[in-house]
Amino acid sequence: MSVVQQSFATYKENNTIEDGDLVVVYLARENMSIIRIKDGEYFNCKFGSYKHSDMIGLEYGTKLGSNTGRGFLYLLYPTPELWTQVLPHRTQILYIADISFVMNFLNLKPGMSMIESGTGSGSFSHSIARTIAPTGHLYTFEYHQERVNAAKKEFEEHGLSHMVTLQCRDVCKDGFNMENKVDAVFLDLPAPWEAVASAKKAFKQDKIGKICTFSPCIEQISRTVTALSDNGFVDIQMYECLIRFNEIRVIPMWTIEEAMEKQRAIEKKRKRALPRVLREPAAAADEQEEEEAKKIKIESADDSNVSSAIGTPSSTTGSEMDEGVQVKSETATPSVPSTPILSSETASPSTSSDPRERIDPKNVMVTRLPVEQRGHTSYLLFATFTPATQPPNLTQQNAAKKA
Amino acid sequence: MVNPSDIIQAGEHVLIKMPSDNVKCVVLNAGSTISLGKFGSFKANDIIGHAWGNSYEIYDRDNKTRVYHPDDMNEIDETANNNREIVDDGASQKLTSEQIKALKNEGLKGELTGEEIVNKLKESHATFDKKTAYSQAKYLQKKGKKFHKVFTPIKPTTYSLNEYFYIKNPAKIRDIRMDTLSQLLSYSNVHAGAKLLVVDDTQGMVVSALAERMGGKGTILGLYDGDSPHYDIVKYMNFDQETLNSIKTLAWGRIHRPVGEKTPDELQDVTQLTGKDLEGYHRRLKAYNIVEESRKILFEGDFDGLIIASQYQPESILEKLLQYVRGSRPVVVYHTYKEALLETSTWMRKSPDLLAPQITESWLRKSQVLPGRTHPEMSTWGTGGSLLTATKVIDFPVQAALTKRERLAIEKKNAEAKKLKRAREESEASGSEAVEATTTTADTTTSTTTTTSTEEESKEDDERSSKRVKQE
Ligand SMILES: C[S@@+](CC[C@H](N)C(=O)[O-])C[C@H]1O[C@@H](n2cnc3c(N)ncnc32)[C@H](O)[C@@H]1O
Repeated sequence: MSVVQQSFATYKENNTIEDGDLVVVYLARENMSIIRIKDGEYFNCKFGSYKHSDMIGLEYGTKLGSNTGRGFLYLLYPTPELWTQVLPHRTQILYIADISFVMNFLNLKPGMSMIESGTGSGSFSHSIARTIAPTGHLYTFEYHQERVNAAKKEFEEHGLSHMVTLQCRDVCKDGFNMENKVDAVFLDLPAPWEAVASAKKAFKQDKIGKICTFSPCIEQISRTVTALSDNGFVDIQMYECLIRFNEIRVIPMWTIEEAMEKQRAIEKKRKRALPRVLREPAAAADEQEEEEAKKIKIESADDSNVSSAIGTPSSTTGSEMDEGVQVKSETATPSVPSTPILSSETASPSTSSDPRERIDPKNVMVTRLPVEQRGHTSYLLFATFTPATQPPNLTQQNAAKKA
Repeated sequence: MVNPSDIIQAGEHVLIKMPSDNVKCVVLNAGSTISLGKFGSFKANDIIGHAWGNSYEIYDRDNKTRVYHPDDMNEIDETANNNREIVDDGASQKLTSEQIKALKNEGLKGELTGEEIVNKLKESHATFDKKTAYSQAKYLQKKGKKFHKVFTPIKPTTYSLNEYFYIKNPAKIRDIRMDTLSQLLSYSNVHAGAKLLVVDDTQGMVVSALAERMGGKGTILGLYDGDSPHYDIVKYMNFDQETLNSIKTLAWGRIHRPVGEKTPDELQDVTQLTGKDLEGYHRRLKAYNIVEESRKILFEGDFDGLIIASQYQPESILEKLLQYVRGSRPVVVYHTYKEALLETSTWMRKSPDLLAPQITESWLRKSQVLPGRTHPEMSTWGTGGSLLTATKVIDFPVQAALTKRERLAIEKKNAEAKKLKRAREESEASGSEAVEATTTTADTTTSTTTTTSTEEESKEDDERSSKRVKQE
């Protein structure tokens, strides 16, 4: 075991994986898992088997090949952001868009103390703890005993328990039982309005405080707005925040002249092909070719702009299919090529070596949003707790008079 | 128990939200009078020493202020009234515009309170009673805003300053919006004690946000071009000295000591200096030491993150700075224009030092929340900028626990692949068409499909590194 307990709130001084440490194993963005290193154990996945002992002593971020030599993975340091992606879901959880916006609006920073309820799966708790560490404190409330137990264990294992107080409590029925203690409150509960009055008491009474409630339905928001204004909260504001993850593609764009050249070439070929080959297969082949001519060829962004990409093993995928048209990103010329070459078999040797006679379309880099994406998470309702008003003290009054 | 940052302090920058909802930025010098334009003015001393969070009303001729308690937002009953009979031709108000102006002047002079004015307007409004409760409330709110001289001091924070500049002058901060900035902070995993390398052209908006999250613990090293770092926004944040000390800067042009540059001691013999010359020497020495310290911080490396929000080509910056970042640390690039990040993302995909580049944009919508009248605001924000994020990884793949035979087999395979590749490159260079291949592949997604652990890819990666070595 390492001497100092690893914590999600900070990095390790030596950035080295030691026995007993947590590591996020990255196979792909959608394929990550968190493991605790134990000498003698293995991490198995479909690309191979990895000995924990081989990970010990490596720096976080290292790329590790499997014992078969066929696959590899990355060994990442566990952060709250990664935790949100790998944690076991016991409830619905908050994701990075809402987590980030709420923390920013609530002005979280080191040293703040805060209430959160319910703890749920602890997704948000980890980000809060990291942000208010090392001197801040998180009071988190959850009324479901098993979730409390699971979260408690995680906070301990993640080096956060010294700054997180977790209580099993129905905050709507029994309140937070806290007074004059916190700078911010976050409520992710089915009925947040029932906890507003108690939250008010928990705020440090002589300073400004911020509250956020998180509800998927507008009816919940209405009731919470009423509760907030009844309890004297001001500056009530509501937001929604979503993240758009873009995919990058490189698409070739032929001019209409190029497309017509291609069409003419296909027709020429058809005339030549007909007498020789049986009618049916030829038609099928033509169809396929026409299909290809119309299809916008998409080049992997991975390979674009690498002059040596042509012919690398990774770029040969589907090359048989696409032989008809050469897509060469680095030689895109604006001029219209004269006679396009369709495939090496149909081209005469003299033309095939003439680069001007290829279709070199202009490649355009574009982005695209996934067809399906998140359209709504929840409404974020914010309000301000105003401090008890104090009369300006005497010296200030005097100073004001003099001025 | 009172923290000084919870109290409005003399000499600080303060955002003032005015009755019109516009926000103004002022410096609160003790004894000064702060003008709010047509809304009058108030005395700085009347709010200095108070806790942040209250609103104030300017209520008399002497510009006296008192804490203002807005009326509760009561549930508005839908009455039988509707707005059918109301013709908004200005005729329903029986007071002439001169009379209203006079009332307003009395208000500004402090002879009438805002409430009294609004009541007068209401009384002389012919159809006020016929309005629906909703439009009555709206009327009072509208007039109230106009005649109550209420202002709210807002503490400058990452959020409030970001919002202020985003609305007032988005170009100044390169359009970075509050939600995008909040995501930048998350992706950076910024926390107390971190050591961050930053290139910030947002007038210090990004540096300020990072520094606030570090609370004076840790180090930010900001690289800048030009004569001095333009971190204007840092000064609005009212940071304590510890936080200000955590922000170090270094000019791009001074990363390496210019050949022939002499230390102040090499230039002058301090024992021979007096008066002005000695002062000059100490000034130069101080400046020299600051640069030396920043260089040392940079060259020591081991940064916990690289954050770029620059107008310059991100790849050119990454090429220089990536080497100083530790393994498993975030690299976050902000740019106003998503398109400007596309090439960078492709570059990152090819770099063996970076894992899983991803371009994101944020969408943010604010709603009006009034009891019974909640709806998204009619005008919304357009651009908020774009982020490109990736993780720094370590470029030397460690092959785990291989038998000697396995290792030899892999090495042989790699060598063959390299030979083949070289042959291809040569034939390409000579212009021959010996090697037929296309670059078209079926899968084109770069942001969601990430490194899959296949043999092919690892081979490719080996080639990348070998390419890199050749370039160097
Ligand atoms: C959606 S989850 C919270 C998820 C959490 N924000 C996260 O990011 O992982 C809501 C949680 O609130 C808890 N809860 C609901 N009502 C509660 C109450 N009255 N008191 C305490 N916890 C409550 C539920 O058991 C549930 O675990």
